Amino acid sequence: MSNGRIIGDVILDLQNISLRFGGVNALTDVSFDVREHEIRAIIGPNGAGKSSMLNVINGVYHPQEGAIVYRGKKRHDMDTHEAAKAGFARTFQNIALFKGMSVLDNLMTGRNLKMKSNFLLQALRWGPAQREELEHREKVEEVIDFLEIEHIRKTPVGRLPYGLQKRVELGRALAMEPSLLLLDEPMAGMNVEEKQDMCRFVLDVNDQFGMTIVLIEHDMGVVMDISDRVVVLDYGKKIADGTPDEVRSDPDVIAAYLGTQH
Amino acid sequence: MNFFFEVLIGGLLSGIMYSLVALGFVLIYKASGVFNFAQGAMVFFAALTFVGLMELGIPFWFAMVLTLAVMVLLGVVTERVVLRPLVNQPQITLFMATIGLTFFIEGLAQAMWGANVRGLELGIVDEPMPWVLDNWNMVISRFDLFAAAVSGILVAVLAVFFNKTRTGRALRAVADDHQAALSIGIPLQNIWRIVWAVAGFVALVAGLMWGARNGVQFALTFVALKALPVLIIGGFESVAGAIVGGLIIGAAEKLGEVYIGPFVGGGIEGWFAYIVALLFLLVRPEGLFGEKHIDRV
Amino acid sequence: MLYREAGQFKASYKEDQQIFPIKQDRVVILSLLAAMYLVVPFVADQYLLQAILLPALIFSLAAIGLNILTGYAGQLSLGSAGFMAVGAFAAYNFMLRIDGMPVLLAFVLGGLCAALVGIVFGLPSLRIKGFYLAVATLAAQFFIIWILTKVPWFTNNSSSGVISAQKVEILGYAFVSPESKYLLTLAIVTVLALAAKNMARSAVGRSWMAVRDMDVAASVIGIPLMRTKLTAFAISSFYCGVAGALYAFVYLGTVEPEGFSLDMSFRILFMIIIGGVGSILGSFLGAAFIVLMPIFLSLSMHAIFGGAVSAGLTSNLEVLIFGSLIIFFLIVEPHGLARLWQIAKEKLRLWPFPH
Repeated sequence: MSNGRIIGDVILDLQNISLRFGGVNALTDVSFDVREHEIRAIIGPNGAGKSSMLNVINGVYHPQEGAIVYRGKKRHDMDTHEAAKAGFARTFQNIALFKGMSVLDNLMTGRNLKMKSNFLLQALRWGPAQREELEHREKVEEVIDFLEIEHIRKTPVGRLPYGLQKRVELGRALAMEPSLLLLDEPMAGMNVEEKQDMCRFVLDVNDQFGMTIVLIEHDMGVVMDISDRVVVLDYGKKIADGTPDEVRSDPDVIAAYLGTQH
Repeated sequence: MNFFFEVLIGGLLSGIMYSLVALGFVLIYKASGVFNFAQGAMVFFAALTFVGLMELGIPFWFAMVLTLAVMVLLGVVTERVVLRPLVNQPQITLFMATIGLTFFIEGLAQAMWGANVRGLELGIVDEPMPWVLDNWNMVISRFDLFAAAVSGILVAVLAVFFNKTRTGRALRAVADDHQAALSIGIPLQNIWRIVWAVAGFVALVAGLMWGARNGVQFALTFVALKALPVLIIGGFESVAGAIVGGLIIGAAEKLGEVYIGPFVGGGIEGWFAYIVALLFLLVRPEGLFGEKHIDRV
Repeated sequence: MLYREAGQFKASYKEDQQIFPIKQDRVVILSLLAAMYLVVPFVADQYLLQAILLPALIFSLAAIGLNILTGYAGQLSLGSAGFMAVGAFAAYNFMLRIDGMPVLLAFVLGGLCAALVGIVFGLPSLRIKGFYLAVATLAAQFFIIWILTKVPWFTNNSSSGVISAQKVEILGYAFVSPESKYLLTLAIVTVLALAAKNMARSAVGRSWMAVRDMDVAASVIGIPLMRTKLTAFAISSFYCGVAGALYAFVYLGTVEPEGFSLDMSFRILFMIIIGGVGSILGSFLGAAFIVLMPIFLSLSMHAIFGGAVSAGLTSNLEVLIFGSLIIFFLIVEPHGLARLWQIAKEKLRLWPFPH
């Protein structure tokens, strides 16, 4: 589903990533690449290592073997702070929002890297600090507008229903103005309507902002519909890599999944 | 060289005494996830009640049974009044509640029995063991050895209790996850009553030992503060850890006092144990036997 | 009904971001401040000023400090009194050893020294969390008091360990009367409270709360964990340090290291728990509660028992009741008085209608 978008060169290349926890091999020799402006899906049965893969890209986990090449720069592993500075933004499977803060504040934390004033100026709330706060508030309001969550912006996040929380988490990632968006099951636990909304947002983000998206999802319909290319993992190994159609008819994939087509 | 061993062994033995108090913490934490700051106050209360009863003329063993009954009652009441209403609150709230409980117990103890310092006679004298003195020229207190033996037996009993009995298993389940334990039918309230009662018993033993050694006075509540570095090293959830931690802290403290103390003007017992524990923590944030905390994202 | 927000629209983000966006709140706060500055000094008697308002203000400041560290940044600390001690003794030494040192500058320098010590003892927070960190802060508490007692230089070689703080004189005016001391403290506390509130609602405050709520997510967003935690320790200790300096110079006049004991650290912790963790308003409410309660208790004891009961017994009963009140409060409203205040405001929105 290209929509006339031009898919660029490879910006992220994962080479032979192996990740172990004690005796468990979470990932074994997994390699794939991601092209600019594309929507890349990672699918696989539960426990296949999909979240671990995102965690490696993001710097939460450090692989024992392999390399991560981002825009030409090769590294053995990533550091979360570096990843954020490089423009990686992330949502989590089990919603990692800051429960003690409102929606607006959660989104504002996404702007943290871009805010330069120090705490003294902020304590005085004067001049540059005041201006910066307003500037970033405006940016965040754009995201709020885009995601249609104006009505809940002052609500403490803990009080929101699950579907809205997931949307807020997406908002926080978008507030970072990332160049690479990593989404871990953004549609999990949602009903049909919510899924449609989320799909629309993901597609819009890719269309309007040209953002490269790596997405883990279980709903096959969604994956086949919106992704440009798909990687399939099973028990920590890559078993297929290609366009949705190629992957759908791959016998290994069918064997691993028994092909769910709802 | 003999002097070094003397100090070392003295330290190890006094460390066992710390372990005794730490054990009470571990028990409650292991079974209810609550960090019971009031353990020190419980030690004080137990010791004070015991000598108070003895002063009233009640014979030794009967007074001990009676005190145990009082401690059990205290445990049951605590469960009902403090823990049950706070069942799903975050750990810090429960911790705060136990600080409140500390004040309560301290006030109660002194209101009931007065604030005078009393001695506690257990029949074992704090004297050097003669044959050790004669053969190796070292001063090792008979009392310290007795305390170590008592602690050892207590630990063994508790270890068996936790690992081999059904109740012990239930306790460990409860410590892991209240809700899950409830959902499989473990009677939470009974379990907690048992645990606090056992902790009360441990407090009584600790109270008797410490009271005999240092006299029964308000400062006894501060042994709880000594037990904290022990818990840090040993982990909050391990009975074995409480022992090992106690040994390490006891030895380190005594050795520090004797060998480092003179250079800095003495009086370092107040904080030396904490610095030792802190250094340990920097290397192993969960303590020697503690469980690694894993955040799954 | 009185408290309706209807009709109050915000036309810009700037308006939306005010500390008190609701007009009624603004009115209340401004009237309160006006009363505190203009009315109280003339109306209140010496006892009220010296024994109640002054310590309540000073401890509010310390409570704000602890709230920054424990409430906003989520780093449990049992060492606040130790940092107060650093502030007090540092300010004393600056005044003592540097001629012509202005008192306010000495306070600031005392706070800065406390901040430095806070950073040092905050370093373990990079590796350890929760109760373990609390125990590390206990180490800070014990060690600080020990070193202030042991090293005679800090107490100017005083044999008893007690120091007499110098007179507070600014631009020639000596702050001796209770009214002047009260106003000085009120001014300092107002400024610092405002600063704290501003920080809490800015990027630095948000990064503290993010670290408190989920530090893995915070680091994924790019929030520097180390810098955030150490900043919290530094600023929190600064506030406690200034509070300590005020405690020594304006309130007691003479202090010794043991006066800043673990007991005081606990009291400050109770203040934020009862007042409401993570709330500036809560710091004030909690401090007022903890300062007033012993007075209230002893008055009640006297009223109920007269002179029939010994002083020892009443003080034990007070401790007992204090402990019970803490527990009671935690059961009834774990989010503290600030939350009760919020609930009251919600009810006021509808009053006199029930719903």
